[in-house]
Amino acid sequence: MSTSTDRIGDEPSAKRGSAASPARMSLAAGRGVRQAAIAVLLPLAVIILWQAAGHGGSLFGGVLPTPDRVWKAWVVWAFGPSGGFNAYSGTWLSNLVFSAERVVKGFACAILVGVPVGVMIGWNRVVSGAFDPTVQLLRPIPITAWLPFSIAIFGIQDVGAIFLIALGAFYPIVVNSAQGARDVERNLIRAALMMGASRWTVLRRVVLPASLPAIFTGLRIGLGIAWTAVIVAEMIAVKSGLGYVLWDAYYVGRMDVVIADMISIGVLGLVSDRIIILIEGWVLTWRRLQSFQG
Amino acid sequence: MGTIAFSNVSKVYRGPKDVRALDDVSLTVGEGEFVALLGPSGCGKSTLLNLLAGFESVSEGTLLFDGQPVDRPGPDRGVVFQEAALFPWLNVWENVVFGPRVQGLARSDYEEPARKLLKQVGLSSFSDALPVQLSGGMRQRVGIARVLTMNPRALLMDEPFGALDAQTRLSMQQLLLDVWQSLGTTVLFVTHDIDEAILLSDRICVMSARPGRIVRTIPIDLPRPRSIASLVSPEFTAYKARIMADIKVAEPH
Repeated sequence: MSTSTDRIGDEPSAKRGSAASPARMSLAAGRGVRQAAIAVLLPLAVIILWQAAGHGGSLFGGVLPTPDRVWKAWVVWAFGPSGGFNAYSGTWLSNLVFSAERVVKGFACAILVGVPVGVMIGWNRVVSGAFDPTVQLLRPIPITAWLPFSIAIFGIQDVGAIFLIALGAFYPIVVNSAQGARDVERNLIRAALMMGASRWTVLRRVVLPASLPAIFTGLRIGLGIAWTAVIVAEMIAVKSGLGYVLWDAYYVGRMDVVIADMISIGVLGLVSDRIIILIEGWVLTWRRLQSFQG
Repeated sequence: MGTIAFSNVSKVYRGPKDVRALDDVSLTVGEGEFVALLGPSGCGKSTLLNLLAGFESVSEGTLLFDGQPVDRPGPDRGVVFQEAALFPWLNVWENVVFGPRVQGLARSDYEEPARKLLKQVGLSSFSDALPVQLSGGMRQRVGIARVLTMNPRALLMDEPFGALDAQTRLSMQQLLLDVWQSLGTTVLFVTHDIDEAILLSDRICVMSARPGRIVRTIPIDLPRPRSIASLVSPEFTAYKARIMADIKVAEPH
């Protein structure tokens, strides 16, 4: 799209060329449909091969169920009556909500702490000296290593899972926010100071908005880690959610539910990432237009 | 108001090997005077401007603005940057009123003058446009308008038209002449373009590189008001010939 001509001519009288004509819109829509068609080819091929390779509804001597059985298991899990023999029947949505809620809470904590701390580390040498070494020291400890600590402190509780999620998402958010604040164009800061802005105003009205593209990169990476963290935490430290079902179903040999669960996690991760991208596009209109100029 | 006094100013960048960017520069600029600093890249002319802007500090000597030592940037010295340095997330109007807003001025005090300035630079109909949607020349007009909303006592311009194409540069030079002739603000203007320096300024300080020094000061007595038509007058050509000879002299070998 580098050939887009949104740029206005130097003549002040020249009106801005309105961006999207109907013809261009339908062209874009056509391209979208074709891209979507190409995108589903690979997963479709995998499913067909997987189905064809099965004998009597499974592969590898009964270990791996075929897609049709996974589908049936998911339908029961999602829409089946609850309270019968099948412990999973009808519990899909509530487990999904449990997991999503934890991710939202933990991720929100990570943003609330990570963005301000990160921007301050990038902006202020004293803050950087005080916080950055500690962050860098703790960062290599994987969240899985925090599990015993979390259970010991918080017990088998929601808080423990939320703690792990927040911690996991915190690092990429803080590191990217700091990078964004460090990389703010020097002349933008100089321009603001020249116009009489205080250091605090510069931080709020120049450094923060200028860091937003990097901050969003951190948010996207952090969200991915938040999903990893919630599954790990639920497998061990709480008794609900997609992670709990995943491990539980494995124990009772319900690989069809395991795979339906995995796919659910994948879809949820994808959807939440898309939501961040949508928010990013809305907040960073100026940035999108910039990359349009090529 | 708007007087500038560099006295024996040097600027040294400390490092493994110290770099002397400016060496013993003395320069005074009177109220309402338009002075151009002319020289090749690396001659320290931008450093000179940054010192006056308060972005960097003097290593040796003294630097006074209206009799006061310069120690920090401030709205009394409006800086126009080479690449405009507009805030890309703010639209034209928000960029233009950024100064008065962060200074906490009352809306009624700045909105009307800002609207007039935007009209004067020909951008009234682009208030809502983002910088990225503007051409280079238009961006620089916004850069000029946003410093003028602060009623600076001096304008510091760092090769403001250096990145523009020749035609746009001419129209920007005309615009600056018009604006300056109506305001009478002191201007310190950095450029490497001889024509631009002669056309705009009352006085040209020719600088040499490594270390940066002022090697010649040439008063330009072309009549005011000037316009880009002055570029083809015989007096203009005479000045240009003289300066080109001077620049040859200023070369190290």
